[in-house]
Amino acid sequence: MTTRTRPLFPVTAFLAAAFLYAPLGIQAQTSSTQSGTSAYGERWLHVRVISTNSRGETVRVNVPLELAEKVLPAIDHDRLHKGKVRIGGMDCDGVDVRTIFEAVRNSRDGEFVTVESKDQDVSVAKKDGQLLVHVHDKNKPKHSQVEVKVPMKVVEALLSGSKDELDIAAGLHALAGQGDVELVSVKDDENTIRVWLDSKNVTTD
Amino acid sequence: MVLLAKMALGFGATVVLAGAYTFREGLLRVDVDETRGRGQHVHVWLPAAAIPMAMHFVPRGQMLRAGEQSAKFMPLVHAVAKELQKYPEADLVEVHDGPQYVHIRTHNGNLLIDAEEPGQTVHVSCPLATIDDVSRELAALAPAS
Repeated sequence: MTTRTRPLFPVTAFLAAAFLYAPLGIQAQTSSTQSGTSAYGERWLHVRVISTNSRGETVRVNVPLELAEKVLPAIDHDRLHKGKVRIGGMDCDGVDVRTIFEAVRNSRDGEFVTVESKDQDVSVAKKDGQLLVHVHDKNKPKHSQVEVKVPMKVVEALLSGSKDELDIAAGLHALAGQGDVELVSVKDDENTIRVWLDSKNVTTD
Repeated sequence: MVLLAKMALGFGATVVLAGAYTFREGLLRVDVDETRGRGQHVHVWLPAAAIPMAMHFVPRGQMLRAGEQSAKFMPLVHAVAKELQKYPEADLVEVHDGPQYVHIRTHNGNLLIDAEEPGQTVHVSCPLATIDDVSRELAALAPAS
């Protein structure tokens, strides 16, 4: 190194180091987060819809529960306000959803509803702290099956608000405390729908 | 000669530092390519750090109007952007519907939106921190309800 270029050395070294280490930093950040399992404690709600029709629709949604829990109160639309849904006067074919939830919460494990007909079988049960709904539609060529599994703690959290509302934010918070669970599963001749909860930030089929 | 070299180095270092400062938050990138009709192509690349800065040069009246018009959904955008920064690498939504495709994800702290349909593709990339800054400023301008 000549005496003329020596003063330039620290600056050149700094710039070289900056350019050399910048991509490494990005690479390190990328590789540490590429794995499927998210940071400890993160819970992800996954929705997957796969259609085998001519368009071959697929939908994959992955939502961190914590994000949903914090964003929900920011939505103020229609019946949804501050993370709660008003169900007062909600017409579900004449069914009082809240009363049914409360009745199930206060009852012991068992099968509450069993309907068996030529067209479909329906059963609603409570087992091991979970509310289970099963619908078997016999009309379609390939019989359709609907399974819904909701932890009772989530049901209780949903009912923790006032009488005419469901506390969705509290429900999500309660859901975060549950282990890996498949909440909804629908299978028929054209569609497969799954809603489940785990700690992975990617959808693994 | 030495003086010239020093001046060149000073100028070069200033350009590098200014560039590093301007691009420290990444790029807002919008690419729209149409292959049907007249086939328009729009490519916008902006340093993300310049956007909140540029907002200070927008006339106050215009900003207040923007704040008023976006008042309904800006708190939601702000909440989403703020929370999404905790998830710098995540696949959020992916939809295939025949030839149509939409993919929303985060990568390296950027929100990436890719949408494709026959004859048109749209790619948007924006740092989440920039969305957070802009939405916070717009939410602050919204009239109190």
